[in-house]
Amino acid sequence: MKPISSLRRTSARALLATGLITSLALVSGCAKSEDDAAADKKPAAQGGSGGAAAASGTGAGGRTCTLDAFGGKKLDLKNATVGFSQSEKEANPFRIAETASLKAEAEKRGIKLLTANGQSQFSKQISDVQDLIAKGADLLVIAPLNSDGWQPVLSSARARHIPIVTVDRKINGTACKDYVSFIGSDFVEQGRRAADRMIEATGGKGELAILLGAAGNNVTTERTKGFEQRIEEKAPGLKVVFQQTGEFSREKGQSVTEQLIQSKPGIDGIYAENDEMGLGAVNALKGAGKQPGDVKIVTVDGTRSAVQGIVDGWIDGVIESNPRFGPLAFQTLDAFTKGQKVPQDIVIKDSAYTKDNAKADLAKAY
Amino acid sequence: MLSVTGISKTFPGVRALDGVDFTARAGEVHALIGENGAGKSTLIKVLTGVYRPDPGEGTMTYDGAEAAFATPLEAQHAGISTIYQEVNLVPLMSVARNLFLGREPRGRLGLIDFRRMHRAADEALRELGVRVDVRRPLRELGVGAQQMVALARAVSVDARVVIMDEPTSSLEPREVRTLFGVIRMLRERGIAVVYVSHRLEELYEICDAVTVLRDGRAVHTGPMAGLDRLRLVSLMLGREAGEVREEGRTEFTGGHQVTDAEPVLSARKLTARHHLREVGLDVRPGEVVGLGGLLGSGRSGTAKAIAGALPLDSGTVVVAGAPVRTGSTPAAIRAGISLLPEDRKAEGIVPGLSVRENIALAALPRLSRFGLVDEARIDRIVDTFIQRLRIKAAGPHQKVGELSGGNQQKVLLARWLAMHPKVLLLDEPTRGIDVGAKAEVQRLIDELAADGLGVLLISSDMEELIEGADRIVVLKDGAVVEELTGEAVTADRLMRAIATAPVGGPA
Amino acid sequence: MTQLTLGRVTADRDRLRRLLQDYGVYLGVAVLLLVNVAFTPHFLSAENFRTQAVQVAPVLIVALGMALAIGTEGVDLSVGSVMALATSLVSLYLGYGPWIALLVAVAGGLVVGLANGSLIAFVGVQPIVATLALMVAGRGLALVLLPQLKQVHDPGMAALGSGAVLGVPYLVLIAAGLALLTAFVVRRTTFGRQLLALGDSRPAARLAGLPVRRVLILVYAASGAFAAVAGVLATARLTASDPTSLGTLMELSAITAVVVGGTPLSGGRVRIGGTVAGAVLIQLLTATLIKHDLPPSWTQIAQAVVIVLAVYAARERGKR
Repeated sequence: MKPISSLRRTSARALLATGLITSLALVSGCAKSEDDAAADKKPAAQGGSGGAAAASGTGAGGRTCTLDAFGGKKLDLKNATVGFSQSEKEANPFRIAETASLKAEAEKRGIKLLTANGQSQFSKQISDVQDLIAKGADLLVIAPLNSDGWQPVLSSARARHIPIVTVDRKINGTACKDYVSFIGSDFVEQGRRAADRMIEATGGKGELAILLGAAGNNVTTERTKGFEQRIEEKAPGLKVVFQQTGEFSREKGQSVTEQLIQSKPGIDGIYAENDEMGLGAVNALKGAGKQPGDVKIVTVDGTRSAVQGIVDGWIDGVIESNPRFGPLAFQTLDAFTKGQKVPQDIVIKDSAYTKDNAKADLAKAY
Repeated sequence: MLSVTGISKTFPGVRALDGVDFTARAGEVHALIGENGAGKSTLIKVLTGVYRPDPGEGTMTYDGAEAAFATPLEAQHAGISTIYQEVNLVPLMSVARNLFLGREPRGRLGLIDFRRMHRAADEALRELGVRVDVRRPLRELGVGAQQMVALARAVSVDARVVIMDEPTSSLEPREVRTLFGVIRMLRERGIAVVYVSHRLEELYEICDAVTVLRDGRAVHTGPMAGLDRLRLVSLMLGREAGEVREEGRTEFTGGHQVTDAEPVLSARKLTARHHLREVGLDVRPGEVVGLGGLLGSGRSGTAKAIAGALPLDSGTVVVAGAPVRTGSTPAAIRAGISLLPEDRKAEGIVPGLSVRENIALAALPRLSRFGLVDEARIDRIVDTFIQRLRIKAAGPHQKVGELSGGNQQKVLLARWLAMHPKVLLLDEPTRGIDVGAKAEVQRLIDELAADGLGVLLISSDMEELIEGADRIVVLKDGAVVEELTGEAVTADRLMRAIATAPVGGPA
Repeated sequence: MTQLTLGRVTADRDRLRRLLQDYGVYLGVAVLLLVNVAFTPHFLSAENFRTQAVQVAPVLIVALGMALAIGTEGVDLSVGSVMALATSLVSLYLGYGPWIALLVAVAGGLVVGLANGSLIAFVGVQPIVATLALMVAGRGLALVLLPQLKQVHDPGMAALGSGAVLGVPYLVLIAAGLALLTAFVVRRTTFGRQLLALGDSRPAARLAGLPVRRVLILVYAASGAFAAVAGVLATARLTASDPTSLGTLMELSAITAVVVGGTPLSGGRVRIGGTVAGAVLIQLLTATLIKHDLPPSWTQIAQAVVIVLAVYAARERGKR
């Protein structure tokens, strides 16, 4: 009696497991997305060369670093191995473009590039970097997930005189000792430029709403700070009457904007601290029966969907947050290893998209 | 070593201990026995600091001085160790870690000195005659070996009193032998051992003295040797042989119209590790068969096994000539077996649901069409049973949890009667319900038997069992020891049957 | 005499408390509505009510499945990830048309639900652990299938997201329909009764011969399917598949709605009306704070207060 019942149970379980596996196989096997159906696969027009900004970074503050000050010896970048540690999975346009830019620039210069991805886990990124060093990386480019907690890695890199350039986020440490240079955007400046665009679009008068990024994030605070400062300075006629977080997500941006246009139908402009929330706002405006241009929208990031939004007339300006660190990073490393002075803080140039250039520069957007 | 005099413990509504005297002496193994609700576990909990005795009544002395333990930890530190039925150690840690948990030998830097710990653990276990790899996780060991580790831990903390609560209930015979060896060694070392068990053979084998508890009182204390088995059993059951009144105390009329028909239920060689050994019995239509035996003898296990609620290693159950798949409650129910479980509150009623839903619960599939409940039919059935069983509730929509015990029991009976069962298994159907309801339930059992149902009755109430049952199957240590029929269904014979040594030796 | 009056007073207070527990959520909704009518500009408009209803629809649908799981003394933490999985599947299969895509997505949710249910019913894993495993695995799978946000252009999906019948958006109709269906199942079917019984007392249900395993598996399958439907609807509303952020923290919103609605975490009781009201309550609370432009942190604090109140009520209920 017993064996029969237990057999039955086992087979039921096995059946279930088989079912699960089969269905997963089906899922990946016969998927057919809209694009496949339309059969108009767009060429993957991604690359490192994009962006008018390319290599024109500026050294802010003027503090510099040299090989002598850092310690270590000259080497020819052409024969060196560079390791790149990415922080998060390449699941959003920014990270995709960032990694692609570094790879493209390495290829262009004929340099051997090792890459690793921390998958949003700091402990993994730390061991990634140690791996890269073990695999013989002579120089490192790091897009750090956190600013803190790098000391163990930094000291083992310093022991081998491995120069480090960090991109998009800073590492807390001493420049020209723990690392050579930091290359990144100036988020406060992005906020100021967004404000300029907003003033232009609204004519300097009216009521504004801000879709804030995730709370407690320095990008959020800095983009807000720059925007508010500039509005106060230049356009006393513009009033920020609404500030709510959209958590950098399209869905939240849409929900919050829906509430906004219910309670403040007369709103004149919306500043979204990233493209996704701006696109959510567009959804909400469409749903409420608004026409393009009724409410001015300015966003930050420069993804292709947002630039397309300008072309369609819904968005009035997109301030770019440039992810293409490849050219600047390699240029810095090249100069440094040749013994030249390099700035400790390098601000990458962010371009901007407006009605005037959106159509033409759409392909450059990431 | 450790003694209490005139100690009491009162819970709201219950006096669990009532002026109990108990003394555990150094170098003595003292049996503590009693039926369900006699107060054994309460006494143990008082001794080990889990409960505080009622203030102002009685005293507790330990090692010659008055003592009161505020917490179990305090008692433990004082040298009183308890080994429970379920081993309470950390299964994932190594044997050695478990032995020394919280008092690991430290080396330099305050780190655990594993080598020393392993050596000490090995020695401690070897002393008890247990040879295992002390580095292995505890859970890889058998239950018996785990118990030994618990024991070794108790001994190695310099315990002076060791309390064992049914330590053999999940041990193999061979492991029991080892355990007894250890207990003897503890005795020689001058440790006081308190031994709780239901197995009479074990008591006679290992214990020097015995205290019998009944209804919260110590009814007997004395040396084990020379104590007549029958006397011991009657002490536990609270009846002198021959003292049991055999008529008039219950509502049973006695003597059902038992036909010579084929048995409606016949169970054969039901065997489940640590519970049952080849239990077999027959119930004919219209017959009430009683299951007799002490606590832990396998009465409830037998009922559960027949109802499919206890997985069996082997054995067959046949209902009205058709074999029933064992180990499956739904299969047993489909075959016409209904069980009123012993623990009515936890396993019987669904307290949050109404009287109505509780009655309809098992029969739901029959009272539904295409998965939709036929409310009108349920109403009819529920009304019928509320009237027939005289269930006293504010209405069919009152929550069952709010009813009295007797009415809860009637609701459960109604639930099963709605299934038109062939066999009713009643496990302590009248325990904890008031006198009036008890009489009603007893009358009902009679009626049901008269209607041709086969009834299996378990009861610790001796009058109920003797007057209610046409036949009594006596269980001991999970096996049938005797079957009393006809004139032999008397209290005297029942107690004798319980007291005799089993044929096959201890389990 | 004193004791007698005292007894009566506590009995009265007891009844009042029970009433508050059972109907407090409706009272809360009413109070919030009144406050908004009085103090929020443009609140009394069809358009505004439509917005609130559309926003609450996906949360409510997820909460319905959650209510069933909680009714069995379980919980389904995988719902947010199932939404993400559904949105990925919709995008991947939209080439076959919206109906097929929808079916595949719901089937995906069903499969995750069956896996949850099997782990719980056959293997005996705790619901919180089993569904936690699929919460992690589900989003992982969603991101493998669709690594990044993808625009949905299908007109059918867009219509589903923003269309309406007689002024009532499809999303709201679907959510209302599913709520009625769930209430019907809980009240009128064998399955519903068995679910409540096993949620109240698992051993009793087992001894009464109920098909405990089957009921558990069906409950989690339903929860998975509901979450998938919610995922599809959210995708339609957003006209984009965003597996990275869609449904994050949805399990918490859903549990909150269920608990606030008076369904005890200890199982044995499922209140669908209360769950609907609970979801609406949270939606209104969020909307109120946003509309008045109060700092975002207030929203979180206000939600926390509501949860604490609800859990407090549940505790009292459990003690009874």
